[in-house]
Amino acid sequence: MKFIDKNNIKSEAKKLKPLDRRSFLRKAAVITGVSSAGLLSASNLPPNIPSWSKKLGRAVNVNPYGLPSKYAGNVVRRRVPWLTPDNIASISFSPLAEIKGIITPNGLVFERDHGGVPDINPDDYRLMIHGLVDRPLILDLDDLMRFPSESHIHFLECPANGGMEWKGPQMGRLQFTHGMNSCCEWTGVPLKYILEEVGLKPEGKWILAEGSDGAGMSRSIPISKALEDSIIVYAQNGEPLRPEQGYPVRLFNPGWEGNTMIKWLRRLEIGDKPYYQREETSKYTDLLYPYDKDRQHLKGKAYEFSFTMEAKSVITFPCPEKPLKSHGRYILEGIAWTGTGKIKAVDVSFDGGVNWVEAPLKGAVLDKCWTRFSIPFEWKGQELLIQSRAIDYTGYVQPTYNQLRGARGVNSVYHNNAIHTWRILKSGEVQSVQLSCRCDDE
Amino acid sequence: MNKIIEIKNQKLLRIINTLVLISVFFLYFNTLYANGYTEKNTNQSKLFNIGKTASKKEIAGWDIDVRPDGHGLPDGSGTAADGEDLYDEKCSSCHGTFGEGEGSWPKLIGEHSSIKTGISPEKTVGTFWASPSTLIDYIHRAMPFTEPQSLSWDETWAISAYVLYLNDIIEEDFIFNRESFASVKMPNFGNFVTDQRPDVHAIRCMKNCKKVEDISIKVALLGYASGAEDADQYTSGGSNSQKDETPMEIKKTLGQETYDIACKICHDQGVAGAPKIEDSQAWEARLKQGIDQLFAHANEGFQGTNGFMPAKGGQSQLTEKQVNDAVEYILIKNNLQMEKQ
Repeated sequence: MKFIDKNNIKSEAKKLKPLDRRSFLRKAAVITGVSSAGLLSASNLPPNIPSWSKKLGRAVNVNPYGLPSKYAGNVVRRRVPWLTPDNIASISFSPLAEIKGIITPNGLVFERDHGGVPDINPDDYRLMIHGLVDRPLILDLDDLMRFPSESHIHFLECPANGGMEWKGPQMGRLQFTHGMNSCCEWTGVPLKYILEEVGLKPEGKWILAEGSDGAGMSRSIPISKALEDSIIVYAQNGEPLRPEQGYPVRLFNPGWEGNTMIKWLRRLEIGDKPYYQREETSKYTDLLYPYDKDRQHLKGKAYEFSFTMEAKSVITFPCPEKPLKSHGRYILEGIAWTGTGKIKAVDVSFDGGVNWVEAPLKGAVLDKCWTRFSIPFEWKGQELLIQSRAIDYTGYVQPTYNQLRGARGVNSVYHNNAIHTWRILKSGEVQSVQLSCRCDDE
Repeated sequence: MNKIIEIKNQKLLRIINTLVLISVFFLYFNTLYANGYTEKNTNQSKLFNIGKTASKKEIAGWDIDVRPDGHGLPDGSGTAADGEDLYDEKCSSCHGTFGEGEGSWPKLIGEHSSIKTGISPEKTVGTFWASPSTLIDYIHRAMPFTEPQSLSWDETWAISAYVLYLNDIIEEDFIFNRESFASVKMPNFGNFVTDQRPDVHAIRCMKNCKKVEDISIKVALLGYASGAEDADQYTSGGSNSQKDETPMEIKKTLGQETYDIACKICHDQGVAGAPKIEDSQAWEARLKQGIDQLFAHANEGFQGTNGFMPAKGGQSQLTEKQVNDAVEYILIKNNLQMEKQ
């Protein structure tokens, strides 16, 4: 076995004859990622005829399940290895800077798994519903598909999205500050139809939803949500759920924290009380240490069952992954979403929140769904502090870090929906920053 | 001329015929509907009557949850003394001998006061969890990490008792079972409150909302690419590290990262005949077969006289290089790295 070490390439190459040396260096360049792109491309540019225009392309259906262009290899989910002790109970982030429109392609939807991704043969799939019901049932996948189905476009966000930023700016890319968030069309059976089928007893107030993965992921869901809009989902963006999204069946609670949307769903137990599972006590609760004087009595307390994802937005261009390359006119663009319903408006600031201007919403504005906004701006090379602020129909305005820390402190991990700031440097590069943090001021 | 009219009439006749046929079909179809193919004319409920009734036995097999009020508490019992050996064997490689946690795996013990002071709060079983039911439920449901739902209920009671004992919540000889369950009180009980959000009421100010001079800028310490799997693919963008505060976890060698994922579970403790990581003699003997042989066994798996090494430690997603890095990490730990050439 031969080792090619970056540091040893030159000394290794010296030992070779000139011709071999050139080929060695070329191979080494490939292995170590030194790009030689650009050298060949001019021959494909006008007035030359591009090489692919003068020959036949690949045959039809070479990849029966279509694949992206090999040049789109940058558009992938990524992990941050040090975030979790292993890569099984771990997280991957969606590449928000590369995603257009309001639909996240299935292969780019972020993942949060607590015991790895099981491979479940749908023939062996069963959903058990029992507890405070008249007729405890076991349904297979065909049974589920006989119920009336609905399709809805909704965002899916982990409540820990941005959780690393509570104490100060930490992650420097959009993918890692906001990428535990995706938006898909979800298809399945409204849970209320299944509760009708089993005969929900009036004393049934909570549902324990349980996954069949190695973590046995489990959460308590109030019956009111189940009767309102929870869906037993078996398809996303028109095809069967991906394994990492719960194939063959997951629970979906529109607008709520992603952790409640149990994947690989195997069991729904109806009870009169919540179940206080590990993932709704030890985790997914918000430990408080408020800075605000009128909230001091909450120090050391923790919110439980904090389900709703409050209004939030982020600018997706420019961003650290998409810097400005020259002076001139640009279109700022971003996404906003809220678990309370529709986005009413989005404001944008170019001066760190001193002055704001409303940015027009773009395309469809749907319930509990990503909403695009955009606004043109002229960049003359000055430093900018760009921010976006979402407003929903309850009148809620996306807060600043100071306001959020005033109410909760910096230890709550979850539900960080603070206004985010990108700093555009004179070079056009974009940094992730935070402004005037109260924990530093005091 | 007449002929043309005749042809036209024939055409008309055909159209009329077709229309009559369609109407007849429609009437017939409507009759079908009326005879029970739609819901509106059936007096039955809207139930689908599909699926299969779940038997008590089937439910018992899957109904594993335990609630703070005692709903779902299992049979069996155990003491901390019973749980000690089980804990050492099944839990300590991640959670530490005394619950102090190995690496970044979860701690089970901590200072309860840290929850109140807000400075580096330690959210552990002893300091944060509100009910012992959560511990019993979770250990049985999801632990040990690599073998979930493998523990008997007696083992679950015993290990739960040991974890409570490590936290000074119960005595070593306390018999933990359904009868004694209610007497166990967790230090942080009562400190959870219902979600009070929206707890921030921001104003939609549009002009001169703050003074420019009040704005101070804090830059991301880690830089955008730090820690990402493919960090070195990115060469443009903010080089924004103000000072080197890279956490120790990031500074771990690549090999150790793989080791922790794929090898630690067996090679830390010598599980299943695996040579322990610090057993220099064992590794030296193996290295005599040549580094390539070691790499091959680690990547492809190996049936030895003492035990079985699964390919890539069972982590098939790892690349060959990641596995080789882990082998090198073990050799470095034993000062054997010079043998590579």
